[in-house]
Amino acid sequence: MSADNKPATGNARGTASDGGTASPARRPNASPSGPVSEDTRLAVEIRGLVDKGDLDQARERFGELVARHQRRASRIAYQYLRDLSEADEAVQDAFVKVFSHISSYREAWPFEVWFTKILVNGCLDRRKARMRRERWLVGGEVSRSDEARVSAASTSANPEQQLLARERRARIAAAVDRLDGRQRTVFMLSQYGERTPREISAITGLNESTVRVHLFRAARKLRGILGGKS
Amino acid sequence: MNFLAHLPEERLFDCYLAQRGGEAIDPRIADHLTDCETCAERYVDLTRFMDDLCEDGACEADALFTPERLRTQQQQIARRLEQVGRRARVISFPGQLVRRTMTAPGSHSAPRWVAAAAAAGLFVGVAVGAGYRFGSRPVGLEQTLARQAPLSPRGLNPAQLSADDAFLSDLEVALERPHTRELMAFDALTPHVREVTAR
Repeated sequence: MSADNKPATGNARGTASDGGTASPARRPNASPSGPVSEDTRLAVEIRGLVDKGDLDQARERFGELVARHQRRASRIAYQYLRDLSEADEAVQDAFVKVFSHISSYREAWPFEVWFTKILVNGCLDRRKARMRRERWLVGGEVSRSDEARVSAASTSANPEQQLLARERRARIAAAVDRLDGRQRTVFMLSQYGERTPREISAITGLNESTVRVHLFRAARKLRGILGGKS
Repeated sequence: MNFLAHLPEERLFDCYLAQRGGEAIDPRIADHLTDCETCAERYVDLTRFMDDLCEDGACEADALFTPERLRTQQQQIARRLEQVGRRARVISFPGQLVRRTMTAPGSHSAPRWVAAAAAAGLFVGVAVGAGYRFGSRPVGLEQTLARQAPLSPRGLNPAQLSADDAFLSDLEVALERPHTRELMAFDALTPHVREVTAR
C-alpha cells in the first residue's frame, strides 16, 4: 500500500459535503500569502464600487460572495451555537458587517480569512451572551425542533439508524464542547470551516505551529472521549 | 527521527493535515507508511476518525440549512443590505406647534400674573385659616363633640353594630382579594391574616 493511496481514504470529506465549498485540495487560495483568490478580487471590486458610491451594483456583486460562502459559514456558526435560528442570525450579521466595513478591507488578507474572522468573533460574542443568559435561564444543548429537523432530513429511513446518528451527533457536540476555548476554535475552523493551519493562524492570530499543536491536542482529546483508536 | 520505530501520533497528524491541505507529505514519512503496516493502519484510523467527525458535522448543519433556508437567508441579507449606506430617516418633531406656543402674544406675562395670584391666594388662605381656628376653636370643638355624641357606638343597638362590622369586613375582604382572575387560585391557597387571627 503506497503512501499516496492510503491518505486518499481520508479524502471522502470533500465529496461527502454538499459540493458548495471546494475541497481543501482544490481550494484556489489555501494560504494568506498565496495568489489572490477570486473571492478576494471580487471583494476588492465591491470595495471600489462602494467607494465610487455605486451601492446597487456593489450589493449585486456582494450577493455572489454571499452565495459562495453562506453554506460554509452556516456550518461553522451552527457548530458554534448549536441553534438554527441563532446560527442563521450570526451568518446574516457577519455578511452585513462585512459589507458595511468593506471600505476597510485590505487584500493582504484573503477575503475568506477576513470574513471567517468576523463570523467567528460574532459567534463567540453570541456564545458569551448566551452563557450569561443561561446563568438565569434553563438552556438546551440543541433545541428539540432542530433535532426533529435533522432527523426528518436524514437520508436514512431506518428509525434505529436515525436514533444512533442522533446520539452520535449529540456525543460529538458534547465532546467538542469539552475542548478548551482555543482548541475548540481551531478545531472548528479546521474541520467545519475547512481552513488550513496557515489560514487559521491568520484568523486567530496564533502562531501556525501553535495552531497545529492545538489541532493535534483537540483531535487526541476527542479520540479519547469518543473512543477512537490512538 | 528513527524511522525504524513507529511514527509518533504528531507525525501522523502532520501527515493528515498536509494531505488535507493538498501539500506534499514528507517523503521519509511517506516511505515509512508504505513499509510499516502498523503505522499505515494507524494513519487510516486517524484519517477515518477525523473525516467522520467532519462529515457528521457537515451533514447535521446541511440538514438544517436546506437550500430553501439558504435562499431565504440570502433574501434577508439582501434586504438588510438595502439599508446599509442609506441615511437614517428622522421623523420630524412637531416644531411648528411648539414654535406657535412659544411665540404666542402675552406668553411671557401670563405665567408671572398666575404666579402672583397663586401667592396672594395662598397668603390670604393661610391668614384666614389661622384667624378662624384661633377665634372660634372652643365653639367649634364643642359643636363638633356635640354633633359626634349621638353617633357614638354606645347609642347604637347591637344588631346595627354587627351589621356595620360585617359590611366593613366584607369591604376589607374585597379590597384584599386580587382583581386578576389568574391570581384567584393562588389567593385561595394562601392563608390570610384575618383567618389566622380569627382562630
